[in-house]
Amino acid sequence: MRLLRLLGFAGLLLSVTACTQVQPWERGYLARPEMAWKADVLEGALNDHIFFSKEASSGGSSAAGGGCGCN
Amino acid sequence: MSIKQTMKTTIALLAMILGSSALAVEEGEQLPSFSLANIYPGQPTISSAGLAGKTLYIDFWASWCAPCLTSLPLYNEMYHKYKDQGLEIIAINVDNPIEDGLDFLEDTPLDFLIPSDPEGDAAEMFGVIGMPSSYLVGPDGEVKLVHMGFRSGDMDIIEAAVQSALAGN
Repeated sequence: MRLLRLLGFAGLLLSVTACTQVQPWERGYLARPEMAWKADVLEGALNDHIFFSKEASSGGSSAAGGGCGCN
Repeated sequence: MSIKQTMKTTIALLAMILGSSALAVEEGEQLPSFSLANIYPGQPTISSAGLAGKTLYIDFWASWCAPCLTSLPLYNEMYHKYKDQGLEIIAINVDNPIEDGLDFLEDTPLDFLIPSDPEGDAAEMFGVIGMPSSYLVGPDGEVKLVHMGFRSGDMDIIEAAVQSALAGN
């Protein structure tokens, strides 16, 4: 029983390695237009404006930059 | 297999997996050997062996990295300033697809060597932790400077290091 539990735990730990970090040189994939939450930039800006008018708060939807994590 | 043995095997296996990630190249270490295809089709392969004995400035860049695009024309100026003294600049492009990098080069022609590393093999070997990352290598193959990112004023630091490396030629 103890052995089974240990093996199960080891299996669980090994499965964690399947979650890999996006490497710095791969961050271009994140900067692609198809990765954006809002496909239409103009429509996104309009929706943000409406949201800001109604909720008196803005931001949190996206960030500027190419995703290189350098600045 | 006893529980003790199972634990030992598990720990060894995990250590192997976690330790397999590449370690970053640091100052004072030797340049890792690489051989990469030229970004321009039909141009010769660019390898560390073919550049032995030269002062190298190796830079990793991509078309989606804004600071990289700011730095490259400045590196081109630096190349023309110091190439006669033995400086060689190698700007490794990590764009995938390669065409993204070529599109930028069409608008901004650069005169130094530009290898292509679309799968990130060289970037992984160097242990690049941010874009852009650059490495100044002396003629003896020793890494003299590791520089990450590119901000205004960085060119002074880089040029001073290049001058110092060239003076040691």
